[in-house]
Amino acid sequence: MSKKSKASKSSKSARKPKGAKKGAAKRPSGRLMSVATNARKAINERVAAIAEAPLAVCESDENLQSMLNVLRSEEEPIEVRLAALQAIQAASFSVVTFESCRSEYIATLRQVATDPDMELRQRVLGILAREKDGFAQRKLLEGLQNPEKALVPPEKALQLLSNDVHAEAYAAAREIVNNPPSDTARREALRLLAADATAAPMFEKLLRDKDEQAEIRQISASALQALKPEKLQEHARAILLDTSEYDDIQATSLTAITQFGDEQAVAEDKTLMRRIDNMKDEASTKIKQSARRFLTKYGQ
Amino acid sequence: MNVEFQINNSVSPSARFVSWVPSPCRIRMTNPSGATTPTVTIRITSTSAATAGAVVFRKGTTGLFSTSLSLSVPTNGTSVPFFIAGKFGRPSVNNGDVRIDARAGTTLVGSVKIMVRVRKNANNLTNGERDRLVAAFAQLNNQGAGRFADFRNMHTSVSSPQAHGAPGFLPWHRAYLLDLERELQLIDPSVALPYWRFDQPAPKIFTLEFFGVSDALGTVQFSPTNPLQFWRTDGVQGINRRPFFNTSAAPPGLRTEAQTFALGTQYPAFRTMEGNPHGSAHTSFGGSISSISSAARDPLFFLLHCNVDRLWAKWQRQNGRFNPALAASYDSNPGNPIGHNLPDTMWPWNGIIGPPRPPTAPGGAMASSPCVSAPGPQPRVRDSLDYQGSVNAVSRMGFDYDDVPFA
Repeated sequence: MSKKSKASKSSKSARKPKGAKKGAAKRPSGRLMSVATNARKAINERVAAIAEAPLAVCESDENLQSMLNVLRSEEEPIEVRLAALQAIQAASFSVVTFESCRSEYIATLRQVATDPDMELRQRVLGILAREKDGFAQRKLLEGLQNPEKALVPPEKALQLLSNDVHAEAYAAAREIVNNPPSDTARREALRLLAADATAAPMFEKLLRDKDEQAEIRQISASALQALKPEKLQEHARAILLDTSEYDDIQATSLTAITQFGDEQAVAEDKTLMRRIDNMKDEASTKIKQSARRFLTKYGQ
Repeated sequence: MNVEFQINNSVSPSARFVSWVPSPCRIRMTNPSGATTPTVTIRITSTSAATAGAVVFRKGTTGLFSTSLSLSVPTNGTSVPFFIAGKFGRPSVNNGDVRIDARAGTTLVGSVKIMVRVRKNANNLTNGERDRLVAAFAQLNNQGAGRFADFRNMHTSVSSPQAHGAPGFLPWHRAYLLDLERELQLIDPSVALPYWRFDQPAPKIFTLEFFGVSDALGTVQFSPTNPLQFWRTDGVQGINRRPFFNTSAAPPGLRTEAQTFALGTQYPAFRTMEGNPHGSAHTSFGGSISSISSAARDPLFFLLHCNVDRLWAKWQRQNGRFNPALAASYDSNPGNPIGHNLPDTMWPWNGIIGPPRPPTAPGGAMASSPCVSAPGPQPRVRDSLDYQGSVNAVSRMGFDYDDVPFA
């Protein structure tokens, strides 16, 4: 928050968009805002007007208030509210222009985070989570710990919490890995745990488990590459030498070795070289491509 | 008899890349054996496959280009200047797919392989170009432990006022992309940053083999052969990107290229494109790319911005807006914040920290290029404008777009 305040102070001198004053965008913005906020207009027309000029949102306090009102109002059609959110978010990319509105925007997002519409909730919580907003993090965690309070499905909560992981989130993710409500929730829990150094042994086990889903093994390889890269290289080599392994995980293993392997050690590994040389002719198309890329890199 | 080529006035193989902008080159005799006169007429031509790059030549800084050139080359080793440019519409596909030959009479006395390297529409890349790009990105990031982290840290909420919401938006991002592209080229010199033309369908970008396919949750899936499956930034595993549009079509509501150009012929009007299409392209997705603080986690971000830069480049050419001395080329309002005035150096390359600049300056100076000297290690806002060196030849920055010819 203090960082945001600093940015705000440094940008006050240029709060209004100069281009908007001088350029062509100024002239139609009044008309666009009037269509955007007019409940008697067709939904499509309003959505198109909102999409056309996101910078108009911050041209005046009145415009911003109008858009925030549309976003807040449960009476407004959801399409129009989502378009308003998208336009305000697009305007937020013009930080100097937007900075004066930011605190009110965040307050509105927190308010809308509990809206009855699931899609709107998800989008709003996503924006807040990427801003590492404490309110959103608490709500998401609460939902994981007590599903009755959940604002979004567990897989979404886990995905959003991974933006800024805290210890409580690791505990909740481990619980979901052990008792998954769905395959997607388990997958997202594993993604979140990829930032937890203590999870490396679990990922080693999942990677080598031939009964595990291909996607989970792929995530495990990726997590292991981050947590213990030398272990991944070890396992990737073993997977490649195992002729009973599945194509997908062999392709992932070969990609890991090609991309991140110790070049000298790999070049001196005659057994591995022979195996990959065979793969370029005998394996599935997917592996053949990877094998050729590997052999090109190592001058074979 | 032998001659030596100096592409971009350098004998280094790393300098053997040209774009649409004429590259200064030299040729000199390294072995005059067999020569009977003080100078020898050397004919320079190029050879390439129909699908590969093509180049043209000329003797000086002005005049017409031709497909061959005859030069009088002294036998005493003194070099002779000439220029090579990529033939517009014929970019290379692979490194060294254009061969330049030098002949004395019918005898081949020297040759060199070069590449016409330009930024292309990502939807039209060959599989080879695509694979080299994703491999270079993956290596630059190296699971969040590589040099890419600096680029992540350059584009955050704290640093945002240096880059957004004021006239320096376009110049800053031009420098940012160039810095990243040069780092990618250190890994694979055949890579040029492609652009996502967001006002047209680009289904080939959103595939398992390229920038991934998003599932309903917004988790991006990759093929097991794609090194981006190992992508990780800020401790976040993978990429979160949820398109709010059918990725086989263009996102709705974005200004088209023509509508963007119609914003006006003066820079203050044109730069309102920061809202739509730029901001709107970001928010045509949920996920990292839709928030300023996390946008650079997604490598697609750089293709989006490459298109924003291409639009500026094309607008500059249409309206003659390369010269910083021309008022319409920029918005020199006295109220511009620091970092947004033409003479200002740009953060983080200038290394200046503390208010009103951000508290840190990640990444150090701008990466250098073996082909060109501009924009220098600490670029100013004004240095970003004349990217082709059409106002001042030394300003050329070494990149071009496939659909924007030399001015």
